[in-house]
Amino acid sequence: MTGKPKILYVSHNHPTIRPGGAEAYAYELYRAVRDGGEFEPLFLARTGPPVSIASRYHEGTLLTGVNEDPNQYFFYTDTLEYDWLNGTPRGKAALIKYLREFLEAQRPDVVHLQHTLFFGYDLLRELRNTLGDGVPIVYTLHEFLPICHRNGQLVRTTTEKPCREESPRRCHECFPEVSPQEFFMRKRFIQSHMSLVDRFIAPSAFLRDRFVDWGLPADKVVTEEYGRLPVAPAETRDRRKRNRLVFIGQLSYFKGVNVLLQAMKRLQEDEVDVHLSVYGANLELQPDDFRGEFAELLEATKKTVTFEGEFNHDDLPTIMADADWVVVPSVWWENSPLVIQEAGQHGRPVIASDIGGMAEKVHDGVSGLHFRAADPASLAETISRAVGTRKLWDELRARIEPPYAMDEHVRSLTRQYKELLASRSDEELVTPPAPATEIESVRYA
Amino acid sequence: MPETELERMPTMAETTVEPLAALLAADVVAVHLGSEEGAHGLEISILAEPAPEQLRSQCVDLRALLRERLASLAADERLGVMALLDEVAAAEPGDAVSLSASRALVREALRDPLPTSVVERDEPQGLHFDSVHALAEDAFYVRGWARDGQAPLRRLTVVSPEGSRVELLPGIYREPRPDVDSFYEEPARTGAEGTGFLGYCETGSPSLLSTGWILETENALGVGREFPGPQVSRDLLAARAAVLSDLHKERDWETPLMDHVVPAVSRIQRRLEERAEIEETWDFGEVPGNPETSVVVPLYGRIDFLEHQLAQFVHDPELRESELIYVLDSPELASALRASAGQLFELYGVPFRVVVLAENGGYSVANNRGASVATGRRLLLLNSDVLPAAPGWLGRMSAFYAEQDSIGALGPKLLFEDDTLQHAGIKFQRPPGGGAWENEHYFKGLHRDLPAANVTRRVPAVSGACLMIDRELFAELDGLRGMYVQGDYEDTDLCLRLRQQGRETWYLPEVELYHLEGQSYALENRTALSRYNVWLHTRLWDEEIAAAMAETELPAGSS
Repeated sequence: MTGKPKILYVSHNHPTIRPGGAEAYAYELYRAVRDGGEFEPLFLARTGPPVSIASRYHEGTLLTGVNEDPNQYFFYTDTLEYDWLNGTPRGKAALIKYLREFLEAQRPDVVHLQHTLFFGYDLLRELRNTLGDGVPIVYTLHEFLPICHRNGQLVRTTTEKPCREESPRRCHECFPEVSPQEFFMRKRFIQSHMSLVDRFIAPSAFLRDRFVDWGLPADKVVTEEYGRLPVAPAETRDRRKRNRLVFIGQLSYFKGVNVLLQAMKRLQEDEVDVHLSVYGANLELQPDDFRGEFAELLEATKKTVTFEGEFNHDDLPTIMADADWVVVPSVWWENSPLVIQEAGQHGRPVIASDIGGMAEKVHDGVSGLHFRAADPASLAETISRAVGTRKLWDELRARIEPPYAMDEHVRSLTRQYKELLASRSDEELVTPPAPATEIESVRYA
Repeated sequence: MPETELERMPTMAETTVEPLAALLAADVVAVHLGSEEGAHGLEISILAEPAPEQLRSQCVDLRALLRERLASLAADERLGVMALLDEVAAAEPGDAVSLSASRALVREALRDPLPTSVVERDEPQGLHFDSVHALAEDAFYVRGWARDGQAPLRRLTVVSPEGSRVELLPGIYREPRPDVDSFYEEPARTGAEGTGFLGYCETGSPSLLSTGWILETENALGVGREFPGPQVSRDLLAARAAVLSDLHKERDWETPLMDHVVPAVSRIQRRLEERAEIEETWDFGEVPGNPETSVVVPLYGRIDFLEHQLAQFVHDPELRESELIYVLDSPELASALRASAGQLFELYGVPFRVVVLAENGGYSVANNRGASVATGRRLLLLNSDVLPAAPGWLGRMSAFYAEQDSIGALGPKLLFEDDTLQHAGIKFQRPPGGGAWENEHYFKGLHRDLPAANVTRRVPAVSGACLMIDRELFAELDGLRGMYVQGDYEDTDLCLRLRQQGRETWYLPEVELYHLEGQSYALENRTALSRYNVWLHTRLWDEEIAAAMAETELPAGSS
């Protein structure tokens, strides 16, 4: 007991179980608040299939502890009976019994959701049921799952083109087996629950706009970038040519790695002096035709491309040290790609697709370069310009702004939590604001 | 039976007397004596409650009685015995199955069989008994063909296994059978001359046996033939599909075929309704009693719609104050619903009642059963695939209803998922060139903001997908009528019955709900169904519809 008001962070996963951007951020935020904030944080991370083999750890509860930290819990939910269309468990026992017991025992003053995936959107209803109207609910929007049934990808199944106009008719075109009426009901169902949220936090303006277009009230959605813990910048070697590229990300269609390899093929044919390293995982989860194309392109570009495979996040400084440019060629909108922030932390200019969150976070000709999304010719031309223009690298690098710092983020969130608490309740917060402290760098396994 | 006749019967030691045997023993005497009264006096009490001291008979065994006493009767007397049994059995509940078995025995002992029909080109008489669908214990839908190359048919008779005889001429529907005509190398016969026949018939008394039907014919020259019938089909839904598919043979609702299809389907529908009794009622939470409005929602197939509705109703305090009644019309889903409904109540806290029907009975009976347990002043019939556009809709409908003196039914604006109009009131329209009246929704497919669709007004009818009506008024009308098939035209039928009583139907566009139509029913034979409903509806309401349409004006600015 610290006497501080409690804030409950809910995440769909825990980074010790499976690494991922949103869960890594959520966990860093938890630790930053714990170490320096005015709130006592709790971290509730969902686990269970498919990320863990077990669907239950103890009899009679869905909870288990994490690393002997009294404020961290795993919460097991099963996905066998999960309604993937509407994002809700078919049986509600996890919510109305087990989660309720947890909430009653912990009585958080604020809840900040990082995700409702695997819990169900009706998690929100249960929070309100048990915690009442006085407890503010904050919800960070990490992606577009509520809007788009295609895993939130916002890319049409029919054309593989990015989509920014969701409607029951268009969604039905992407999923002919789901009727337009079911898509309408899906949206109404999700919005029914999301209406219980007091504040949404969107890490990019692009994402915020999509959700406001979709129907969230504009005054409830604020844009605030992910806070980053400070890191020591990667070593920068003094080289005459700035011609080393790196791709870091999932090896999937949506991340555009094949667009990049196609561009590399053109550059090789044009005998441009450039090299690319490809770091990424999950190739085995991709469809056959994607893998086939990836392998073919690797073969065709073997003189200029090195496929490095999976990497350890701890090796990022070394990877960055070897690279001059980071390429983010996604063919979907992206939200606020962590790799752009990481490139920024290490002082590497980014060559990015000119759409969505990438276009927003990388300023063309200022701190990085844009190319036409999904267009290998445009990317090849942009790379060619990047490596061939004297001093361009230094100019862009000089103008990279430092990423939003985690301690600043924690101060901002703390201010917002208190604001929401005040507007939800007449009583003032009993705890006086603590002085802001420097947050140590934390890492997770 | 007069005392004197009883005395004349030989006495025997008291023993168990088979009711049918006793009846026959007593009445055969009367028949034999030609006494008119004898045929009726005693039988009912005998069958209901055998009183052996009054029924001293030398026969305890039906077979012996038939052999010794009845087989020797003249042919017309034997027919008389069977006709008598038909009447008696009709009035007698008793042990129906054993009665049927005994009567089949009697029929076989007393009947004079005709020569069995042989279907050959050289044979002038040919007949075939294609099918018998049992619609009720005494109602059947039969089909076959009969051809006589010698003389016109004077008689076309079906005989039940129990001996009930039903004469099909002249009322039976005749259909062309080009396959039969060409077999006999004759020109195709059409219309009333058609070689085939099909139609609805009722037996004088219940027929429960599945085998033993007979088709008999006799022509003007007195030449008779018979043909054994097929196994009786007892699947009501198969019977309904078979009957409805016959409508394809006709183009016009005034066809005499409807005289067979309507009673047949009505009997099936009534049976389905009777079976759909309330089996269980579960309350989740404190469902308010005697509220302003009871909301009745049939659930058919898609019980997941409950969750979708609750996720919307939870935002509307008025729904907590109303009596929310879900009627499960898919009994096979009862245990799944039970498990889920309790959890959904825990999650949403909106109290509701679930009424489980013993069998699927269709849209009208589900609504009627729900209404039967409702205590609200008014009923709001609601489909499970309707979601309100915003809270406050129920109170506004209620307030409007309360203000109108002569209102009967009230319907709101219903929208498709793309914000176009699904329903802005219902009008009736004949297709170009005439024909039956069809239900049409005003302005269907136009945008919700269309000015003409935003006029509060009287309309000929409103959709049952969301319909408000005074509960007592609904009860006086005996609710929705089940004669229509699968959720169509019951609503307009209700509005027309209200109109007959001087009650008005109103459309209220300020209230909007979404009707996510077409998900709950997978209709197998939609065209046959809608053709039936349309024809039945016009048959019942032709004049009323014409009058309703004549007095309805379109709002200004529309055409």
